[in-house]
Amino acid sequence: MKKSLVFVSLLSLSGLSLSGFSSQALATELKLELNLPQQTGEYHNPYVAIWLEDSSGKSIRTLALWREGAKWLKDIRRWWRKVGRKDAELVDAITSATHAAGRYQLSFDAVDDNQQPLAAGDYILRIEVVRENGGRSMVKQPFTLTGKSQRFTLAATPETAQSTFIIKE
Amino acid sequence: MKLKPLFIAATSLLLATQASAHNRWLLPSHFNLSNDKGEWIMVDVTASNETFFVDKPMGAERMVITGPDGKRVRAGSLYKGHRKSVVDLQLTQSGTYQLQLAGTPSYFTRYEVKGEEKPKFMRNVNKQQRDARLPKDAINVETLEGYSNVLSFVTLNSPSVSFPLSKQGLELIPVTHPSDIAQGEPVEFKFAFNGEVKAGVNVEIIREGVRYRNDPEALELTSDKNGAIKFTPKQAGRYLLMADYQQDVSDYALADKVGGRVFLTFEAVLD
Repeated sequence: MKKSLVFVSLLSLSGLSLSGFSSQALATELKLELNLPQQTGEYHNPYVAIWLEDSSGKSIRTLALWREGAKWLKDIRRWWRKVGRKDAELVDAITSATHAAGRYQLSFDAVDDNQQPLAAGDYILRIEVVRENGGRSMVKQPFTLTGKSQRFTLAATPETAQSTFIIKE
Repeated sequence: MKLKPLFIAATSLLLATQASAHNRWLLPSHFNLSNDKGEWIMVDVTASNETFFVDKPMGAERMVITGPDGKRVRAGSLYKGHRKSVVDLQLTQSGTYQLQLAGTPSYFTRYEVKGEEKPKFMRNVNKQQRDARLPKDAINVETLEGYSNVLSFVTLNSPSVSFPLSKQGLELIPVTHPSDIAQGEPVEFKFAFNGEVKAGVNVEIIREGVRYRNDPEALELTSDKNGAIKFTPKQAGRYLLMADYQQDVSDYALADKVGGRVFLTFEAVLD
């Protein structure tokens, strides 16, 4: 991956909106309000991976990775198997620290890992949330890019409170 | 292939006796790891019919560890207890390590004595040695040369493909990478005997935890003409795959039948 691309990825994954930095106006924006609930008992910040797969299950873009040391990456099971372990550069490029329970506003351009705009078609948003000494949840939201804005409510799971996913055209 | 009824009976008897030998397996503490600084794992080695509950120790010092670069890796310390051996192993390279207990074949002579109901067996006696050892009234004598191949794969970071094959005995050829097995996703393996893919390899696949369920839920498969089996693990967990193959040989000085068994331990990760 080229350095300039790494830089862009880092920005997008720190939770900042990219709109001010993009050299060109990209048509589609993906906005996620991710809600990590308070948990009872011993609490470690969750490891979180947010990524897009195509309809065949192939990852096309890792949007965010909140993690601790490399030793724990394997515990983000699906993301590690499908994406992380095959692309050390990508992991380095997108890494960000873990966050405590709370409400997070994330915003991403609708592009793939090579910064190419996503074509119209079917995709799956995946959010994998794993806590050490806690549970694991896999949020899966299929969507179709049609050129129209859309809004999805992501039902609560044991590791995520109700969240919102918006496609803004 | 058409077989005469007498031959089928003899074969099934021998298979039954082979099946009564203890299963053997290696159980790594971890199958998939992430760490750019390397990791330690530990490996249990045991002969046990209960999947992933240890029973009898096996010689873990014979375990051959092959690193991602195809070179042999030296194990760390080794402990041999009454129920299992344990090996410490440091993984320093990214990629897939093969852990294997294989090596020289063992010989097993079966015979019957007129008037006695049950067949008798002699371990470590080949066809050349057997005449001196058999009683004079022994009938239906048959010697099996059997290879055993106990193995597992462990991956640090990115999986690599280094699956050394000896072309001796029964071997498993991964089509699906053993570190890429996941709940709900199809898996394909092939089997070769002495380097040739074989149909008719009998395979049993069992998930851990049989002690805590009534039905062992064993999956039984037979390899097709390409030597292949295909299956999809419904649940995440650790699995033991056991494969068994035998064939008749003529004009072989040491045995009437040759065969091999494979014991592969793998993990199906949570999807």
